[in-house]
Amino acid sequence: MRTTKSSLIVLSLLVVFTMILTACGPKTPPATEAPTQPPEVTGKLLMLDWAGYELPEFWMDFAQKYPKVNVEFSFLTESAEAYAKLQSGFEADLVHPCNNYWKIMVDDGLVQPIDTSKLSHWKDVNPALAAQGAFDGKQYWVPWDWGFESLLVRQDLVEKVPESWADLWDPQYAGHIALVDGGEANHVITALALGFEPWSTTPEQDEQIKQKLLELMPNVLSIWSSQSELDQMVASGDVWVGSGAWNQSYIGLLKDGYDVVYIDPKEGRTGYLCGFAIPSTSKNYDLALAMIDAYLAPDAQAYLANEYGMGIVNTAAISLVDPETVKLLSLEDQNVISRTVWYKYITPEQRESWTNTWSEVKTAK
Amino acid sequence: MENRRQFASLIGPPSLYLFLLFLLPVGLMFVYSFRAGITGPAHDVFTLDNYRSFLTNSHFHRLFWRSALISLTISVISSLLAYPLAYYLVFQAGRNRVTLMTLLIIPAWTSYLLRIFAWKLILGSSGLLNSLLLSLGVIEKASPMLIYSRSAVIVTLVYVWVPFVALPIFAALGRIDRNLLEAAADLGCKPWEAFLRVTLPLSLPGVAAGFFFAFIPTLGEFVTPLLVGGASGQMYGNLIQDQFMRALNWPMGSVMSLAMLVAVITLVFILTRLASVSDLGGVYE
Repeated sequence: MRTTKSSLIVLSLLVVFTMILTACGPKTPPATEAPTQPPEVTGKLLMLDWAGYELPEFWMDFAQKYPKVNVEFSFLTESAEAYAKLQSGFEADLVHPCNNYWKIMVDDGLVQPIDTSKLSHWKDVNPALAAQGAFDGKQYWVPWDWGFESLLVRQDLVEKVPESWADLWDPQYAGHIALVDGGEANHVITALALGFEPWSTTPEQDEQIKQKLLELMPNVLSIWSSQSELDQMVASGDVWVGSGAWNQSYIGLLKDGYDVVYIDPKEGRTGYLCGFAIPSTSKNYDLALAMIDAYLAPDAQAYLANEYGMGIVNTAAISLVDPETVKLLSLEDQNVISRTVWYKYITPEQRESWTNTWSEVKTAK
Repeated sequence: MENRRQFASLIGPPSLYLFLLFLLPVGLMFVYSFRAGITGPAHDVFTLDNYRSFLTNSHFHRLFWRSALISLTISVISSLLAYPLAYYLVFQAGRNRVTLMTLLIIPAWTSYLLRIFAWKLILGSSGLLNSLLLSLGVIEKASPMLIYSRSAVIVTLVYVWVPFVALPIFAALGRIDRNLLEAAADLGCKPWEAFLRVTLPLSLPGVAAGFFFAFIPTLGEFVTPLLVGGASGQMYGNLIQDQFMRALNWPMGSVMSLAMLVAVITLVFILTRLASVSDLGGVYE
């Protein structure tokens, strides 16, 4: 009996220890120390940003200028999360969702206009992209990064490479397709495959989209929700055609020696544009502006393109980007870009309906 | 008086913790479940529409039952696997007991995601199992069908939960007075009879506890289905996540979460009754 008791104590300790260990998630990397300089501005800047963009390479100018300011990051996994968090009173100094959430956040008064005269790099920002961040004549959003979503294909495993979104339904890829886990993305590509205008579909068209997606499901092997997941499935050969794949996946797998192609579907790749805004509740307006300016610096932008294979907005940074990357992604190819189907603002009703459709479709199998 | 103070100081912190971090959020969720929306004027409108559309949406129900079935399968398999394990540790392992149990728990010290990814390496098309079947000539072409399916979710979750199911069974078996087994033998019971009439009934509360250790958390699972479930292994938890994160329909997400909570509590209530009844029956038969 005694041994049982003591062994039970040991075991409970083990269990508790295990739980503590599993509870420890990855921690935010500490802000880098910059050389101390007078005169010091102190304080705190809270960024609501995507994981990966907190790297010091992206805000070196800020760290140099304000070494005593404590920069903290809170991470997003969805643009919707930025919206929901600010709605529920989260006090960030900068927020970084993509353009499908820009309008609603301006409409709901969650973000404040940007004084672009205080941004030294503003003059170099691509005006066509900047225009997407202006509402009622005021600049609310500073675009910073953009990318494509398209079909990523293991050329060595398929007989014929798809040429359009509609080819996703081709039975030759059955059992080897991965779809992205998102109602919006799947609504858009299915609408494109059917020849509809994705953002102004009628209820009848929505029903057709749902049926078309249901038709695809038996051919779908998996649903991906993080880039590493898709990369791993494509690398292992389980997935031949990854839908909604990002530039980064393509560049990464290519670097690792996989025989992949990044399709330019005849309906156009879909494209997203993301950027920064200062929440209305921020008390650090000037610091936030300085941070945006640091993120726009040519070095920071070139780092984004070179390391992540992302599209950038600062035209002065292009000369610093590896020409091979630019070519592979057609980041400068106007033929591809002008055909790109950019994500747009979606109404709450569309969001709800598309998400519900997707929930139902993905669990139908 | 002294006793009472001691009691209060012991029970106080955990109660406060439970209240602030569990009861209060559940209460908030309850309030949210009646709201018409989370933003704008809809935030202050209270309605029963969410409940109505939950009750009339057969898609939600279908997925709920599917998830319940998956969890039930996981819990039953885990219990069946954990019982002999715990039995061996208590009655056969002797002084190695703690070492062996530690070995069982050690994998749980690594990240949960890492363990799920390990299963991808085993079940994937270029994985261990496929290679083995290929080299044995059982299959001709590597197939990813072993992974990204409902069974992959079950296999992975059973692996994750077996040690935790074994713990309460281990404890229950350890508490059994060996004299009872001797008495059973003296009264002419064969070992298997003694097991069925003494050991098993006395350990059933542990089995029930272990069963729920697996059943309750797996019912709300969304990470494992997301990673290994593929297109056919999605569970109810994934729907709740979609409602909160993607549709930004917190009210509907709340209704769905509360429905699950109510279902789990009801089930636990019923099954604990059943377990304790059979327990008594075993002893006083």
